[in-house]
Amino acid sequence: MGKAVKIVLAGEGGQGVQSVAEILAEAANEKGREALYIPNFGVEQRGGVSVAFLQIGDEPIGAPKFQIGDIVIALSDRAVSRTRQYVGPDTVFVYDSGIEDIQDELPTNTNKIYAIPAIEVSKNELHPRVFNVIIMGAVIKATGVVAMEDAKNAIEIKLGSKFEKDPKLREMNFKAMERGAELVAGLA
Amino acid sequence: MPEKPIQGEKKVFVTGNEVVAWAALAAEAEIMYGYPITPQNEIMHYWTRTIPKFGRRFLQTEDELSAGFTTVGGVLAGRRAFTATAGPGNILMQEPLSMAEAMRVPIVAVVEQRGGPSTATVIYSQQEVTLTTLGGNGEGLRVVYSTATHQDLFDYTIKAFNTAWKYRFPTFVLADGYQAKMRESVVFYDPAERGIKMVPTEAYVGRPGMPGVDRPPMHMRNTYNMEEELYEVLQEYLADYAKAAPEIEEHEAFDTADADLVVISHGVVSRACKMAVQELRQQGYKVGYFRPITLRPMPEKALREVAATAKQFLVVESAQGQLARLLKEAMYGGTAEMLTLFKPGVGVTSEEVVARVKEIKG
Repeated sequence: MGKAVKIVLAGEGGQGVQSVAEILAEAANEKGREALYIPNFGVEQRGGVSVAFLQIGDEPIGAPKFQIGDIVIALSDRAVSRTRQYVGPDTVFVYDSGIEDIQDELPTNTNKIYAIPAIEVSKNELHPRVFNVIIMGAVIKATGVVAMEDAKNAIEIKLGSKFEKDPKLREMNFKAMERGAELVAGLA
Repeated sequence: MPEKPIQGEKKVFVTGNEVVAWAALAAEAEIMYGYPITPQNEIMHYWTRTIPKFGRRFLQTEDELSAGFTTVGGVLAGRRAFTATAGPGNILMQEPLSMAEAMRVPIVAVVEQRGGPSTATVIYSQQEVTLTTLGGNGEGLRVVYSTATHQDLFDYTIKAFNTAWKYRFPTFVLADGYQAKMRESVVFYDPAERGIKMVPTEAYVGRPGMPGVDRPPMHMRNTYNMEEELYEVLQEYLADYAKAAPEIEEHEAFDTADADLVVISHGVVSRACKMAVQELRQQGYKVGYFRPITLRPMPEKALREVAATAKQFLVVESAQGQLARLLKEAMYGGTAEMLTLFKPGVGVTSEEVVARVKEIKG
């Protein structure tokens, strides 16, 4: 019996962090595991940092939110500042290497800080629209919370109808996931 | 006859608002009245999206006063009716809910607590406990179920309709913004297949026959000319409530028998407390767990039993003592020390509960 893996995903509205959390949660649920996903939400309809709290484990999940994440992923400069509070000594903190002038904002209480070029890869190699899928691949590789195949199945369920119309989309999404995994593979 | 909304059992992964809408469908609710307010909006959204297929109805009113009164009206017409609200909407709704108490109208209201006072946050709190249990200008003649999980939300939304119609007291399902918006797994089922029979509804008004000739006149009052008249009616209501209370009271507890300290919480906070108590037990702490499921009526007998052996209580809530106040009333005369972890308007994690217990126990 292990404790649930606690994941925080944060980015600008539109970067798709909520979809990543939801798909991962659904993938885990499909495999009969326990999952709980909660978005932060406020009075604002847009703007502001979007934060997703995700827990995946084998026993019923306790409180929906938590103080310290096992992995915290920040995808914009504001997201870095916003999520510092969820970082503890054992937290793996991942941010995008394309964020400029962020050195002073990075958390100082953990040594496990990794910069990954997800934004760059999405722009130059794939498509900005699959940026969040790259992040999903990175989360899966870094945490092992779900198998890559299960996440692919979850995406298939979510986007299957779009994939039917344009099979290239499927290819691009799955490739994005693999690329995301590669980005963190060499780090830990 | 439209098909049943849920056939057999199915495990789903959804938000709490979806759970409430589906539970109301499964419970054969016929109509929802409501006015939008975060975080309950999606109950209305899911309800309205789903009902055309099942022949149910929805009315959006101009505010929560109206939503409450129309729900009362729906019930008077014999419909299994419900509404949902939160925060400032819950305040407005207390007037129609008082009328429901006055006329013993079994309406069901789902409350999803948000931060207060006033508009505060749309996110989360447990600050609507006092309002939901004792709001209105009366004696709290109502039932309040506090849910902790999506399964609770499904189970108790169904149960709320039956409690309301069986005892004829307005009944609340008290949840919060976290439960509204989070996704976790839950098993949907058709109540009939689990042996749950929905209590039949009946019209209060418009019954067949000539009043006073074929049947006694239906005289529903929320106003009295003489104080003695009111007193007499209230004595009857209060006696009914006292009689029903032991049948309605529900709680969940474990590890209390040999516990020095019992952690008491309700709703979503009890999830954190449950984990904390399990962890502390493994570390050798003599702690127990108690969760009132009904906040009104309080499970007084069970609480007093725990109070007889425990030396200390730790009351944990996302409010500044709204649960603690109810507990003190229920356990008046007990000698156990009452310690607290109050975090008004924000969530509580199991780490915080563990730390607080260790702070107390050294």
